[in-house]
Amino acid sequence: MARDPKHDVLFRPIKIGPKTLRNRFYQVPHCIGAGSDKPGFQAANRSIKAEGGWAGINTEYCSIHPESDDTHRLSARIWDAGDVRNLRAMTDHIHQFGALAGVELWYGASHAPCMESRATPRGPSQYASEFETLTYCKEMDLDDIACVQQYYVDAAKRSRDAGFDIVYVYGAHSYLPLQFLSPYYNKRKDKYGGSLENRARFWLETLEKVRHAVGADCAIATRFAVDTLYGDAGVEVERDGVKFVELADPLVDLWDVDVGDIAEWGEDAGPSRFYLQGHQVPWTRFIKQIAKKPVLGVGRFTDPEKMTEIVTKGIADIIGAARPSISDPWLPKKIEEGRYDDIRVCIGCNVCISRWEIGGPPMICTQNATAGEEYRRGWHPEKFPKRGSEDSVLVIGAGPSGAECARVLLERGYAVHLYDTAAKIGGHLNSVATLPGLGEWGYHRDYRELQINKLIKKNKSSQLALSQKPMTADAALGYGAEKIVVATGSSWNTDGTNCLSHDPIPGADAGRPDQLTPEQVLEGRKAIGKRVVILNADTYFMAPSLAEKLAVAGHEVTLVTGVHLANYMHFTLEYPNMMRRLHELHIREVHNAFASRIEKGRLEVYDIFGDGSKRTYRGPGVLPRDANRSHRWVEFDSLVLVTGRHSHAGLFKELKDRRAEWEKNGVKDVYVIGDAEAPRLIADATFSGHRLAREIEESNAQLPLPYKREVAVWGVAHLPGSRFEIEYKT
Amino acid sequence: MKILVAVKQVAALEEDFEFRADGRDVDGDFLVMDLNEWDDYSLEEAVKIKEACGGAVEIVAVSVGPPTVDEALRKCLAKGADRAVRIWDEAMRGSDSIAVARILAAAARAEAPDLLFAGVQSSDQAVAATGIATAGFLGWPHAAVVSQFTYTPGAATAVLRRELEGGLLHELEIRTPAVLTIQLGINTPRYASLRSIKQAAAKPIELRTLADLSLNAAEVGEAGSSARVRRMYVPDKGRAELIEGSAAEQAKRLAAIIRESTGAA
Repeated sequence: MARDPKHDVLFRPIKIGPKTLRNRFYQVPHCIGAGSDKPGFQAANRSIKAEGGWAGINTEYCSIHPESDDTHRLSARIWDAGDVRNLRAMTDHIHQFGALAGVELWYGASHAPCMESRATPRGPSQYASEFETLTYCKEMDLDDIACVQQYYVDAAKRSRDAGFDIVYVYGAHSYLPLQFLSPYYNKRKDKYGGSLENRARFWLETLEKVRHAVGADCAIATRFAVDTLYGDAGVEVERDGVKFVELADPLVDLWDVDVGDIAEWGEDAGPSRFYLQGHQVPWTRFIKQIAKKPVLGVGRFTDPEKMTEIVTKGIADIIGAARPSISDPWLPKKIEEGRYDDIRVCIGCNVCISRWEIGGPPMICTQNATAGEEYRRGWHPEKFPKRGSEDSVLVIGAGPSGAECARVLLERGYAVHLYDTAAKIGGHLNSVATLPGLGEWGYHRDYRELQINKLIKKNKSSQLALSQKPMTADAALGYGAEKIVVATGSSWNTDGTNCLSHDPIPGADAGRPDQLTPEQVLEGRKAIGKRVVILNADTYFMAPSLAEKLAVAGHEVTLVTGVHLANYMHFTLEYPNMMRRLHELHIREVHNAFASRIEKGRLEVYDIFGDGSKRTYRGPGVLPRDANRSHRWVEFDSLVLVTGRHSHAGLFKELKDRRAEWEKNGVKDVYVIGDAEAPRLIADATFSGHRLAREIEESNAQLPLPYKREVAVWGVAHLPGSRFEIEYKT
Repeated sequence: MKILVAVKQVAALEEDFEFRADGRDVDGDFLVMDLNEWDDYSLEEAVKIKEACGGAVEIVAVSVGPPTVDEALRKCLAKGADRAVRIWDEAMRGSDSIAVARILAAAARAEAPDLLFAGVQSSDQAVAATGIATAGFLGWPHAAVVSQFTYTPGAATAVLRRELEGGLLHELEIRTPAVLTIQLGINTPRYASLRSIKQAAAKPIELRTLADLSLNAAEVGEAGSSARVRRMYVPDKGRAELIEGSAAEQAKRLAAIIRESTGAA
């Protein structure tokens, strides 16, 4: 099928300086956890996007010098010839598919803690980072300014040597050039501070120097947060924003614009919980009116209609995307081929981002289980090896892991029966997606539902059996499948079992009329009283989401939390607005507190750190601290227990116990995946289903095959021509 | 006791398709074939009767078509049919609903079932005539659009409900042998397990020809059909116009369009 002609505009080439983008799809710089140290990961992840039709593909932020060292987070680096060699793998592989490769040259100032290099970052003025803890920079004098600008120039030359077509001077997310521009950071009184012209000077000079060095060979791009969203304390688009664009326009070949800063960069990478597709347009639309150079903008664009509108209405020339390109590296190709149904739409959960925020483990994606696995496991998002046997597979449970497992097995040509008691694919995601702001998470289910239905039409021995009776071990053994995959999910504990005591809470019982599990709240069958207490020992979205849902419905909600409330939402950038939401709904938060027992209408709450601070040995049977005397009663009409989850492991256990019956029933192996194995993120549940489907022929497919590791190799120096041996300076 | 379940392998369009050179049908390369949805329900209704009486019922799935139809018949075997019969002769190509009904009636005479179930209609052609026309050839009692069915094997009559317009139900008592066309929703069709799919793959599909059913070539195919497809085509798309401007301008334009399309001056 050909693409809809109205999307033709997205496929028109566009010139950026000395280079030409083949179409309007552009992967803006984004982190993946590869940097310069995992060149295989970097090359495979990015070049699959080139294969999938993107015209320009960038590194993550790429440090220009050890003075900008972001350790504990993972950036790329182009500090020396060793980095050039490693990044060359990325540019070569991108070029094979006809796309342009870009590098985002980055200097962080105080935001980069330099924990590996122990260098001193330099900034426009001395300030303590609002993003990084305990990091100050040195205020640059004029020599420092010239020195750091030379770092950019040298890094740009190395970038050209590494094969990059597009060289960025990165000034979004409150990194150095923007720090000079913004009065929030820049308190200087010299020619680099004060007026806009002065504050812009560092950035303009840097662009000029980089352009002079490599501008004949490379397109010069700049990433600019056109509004830092603090009003006149920072950059405002209609004031400094457009004026800066006017000044810098002659020096750039490509504008890459967004909003926000680094401390709350969820305002740029807006989670779907709070922001719709195109949410930055009210700010970024001003730039195209000023710039004579091509402009690209982001905003989690996944829909070709919206993209077309952005281009035809003159809001931007090019569609920038980070998350949509992770979720579907073949997004442009699918639009080009008119395969709109096959687009794996980003759900905006920001779990990809969470890994960078955590400090650099490989990126994962809830929708695309192959993200980050391209090189190390050899997984292509759109290509699957043919089935390795004639075995048929029964997958019990059509939630995220079961549905993904079935989808990949079907792609591989296996006969698969996917079986569930529910009337719809999706498992617990069907109810999670009804929580406030999480509707787009349902795209995870929708993608699998559509693909499985398509694949089953082609594979006649396969079946999607929904609304079925719960599968028993007898029925599973007699089903006629050679392989049985148990994906029966998990549920919230009904007895208060939690990560703090690892035991039930006396009196906790969701069978009682005034206590509920999250599932019971979402089902809506059990009456909920006016005063609700949510007892929390979970560090992700469930407790705050339920608090929001119930407060909006008119309940008086108190959150009692024994763990850092919504801690994981720091990593997904949802935390700041989630907290604002709780506050504006007048939800009472009781932190560092948990429950020791529950009675009808009340729970006994204690402070986690209410026991004595002095630890002394007092003999067996006696605690080493003074007793906790902080206990008090809190009343409720309804209590919601968000204390922990447990796997539905019964079916798997029984099937394992009855191994002796496998052979006579023709069963070769039984596996457990997803939450049924251990409760986890939806992304990880999806991964576990995908992984098994890829490796099901292995003799012990329950356990993953080893993956290809990328680590420093003893005996080989990073810097070409240098020595690897231990060498003391004596 | 025997129940004959007449089934059809229906075609669904691929996203892209082309017509056959003669312009009378879609090119078979662009069709995805499957068992007609209604037939899932009529087969299930037969299986339910069999299960309710402990098994003394033989269910025979029958279809008219070339060897590719075996796939649909195997699905019936996997879901509980005891036997599958495919009727085919090249002369049958081009048969319309009435000609197919003539063939099915001949098969019913040979099998002598107590009940003959068919779907209300097929999802691809939607003529909704085959079942009742079969009853006509056989001269058997019949009921269309059956949404509920009660029958004890061996009894001389069955009780059924039919859907009528406006939410009304029609409750009938009917003598057997009878022909019933079964409506969607009468039951919840089961899924075949992998075991039954594998077992079905090993079962034979019985073939009947024109001669087996004492039919002649003039009674089937295009020769025996009362209707002939002239052409199949995609109709021209309708026009759409976005009316812009003030409310008064929009009303004026709308009035002009109405006048144009109704032929008013």
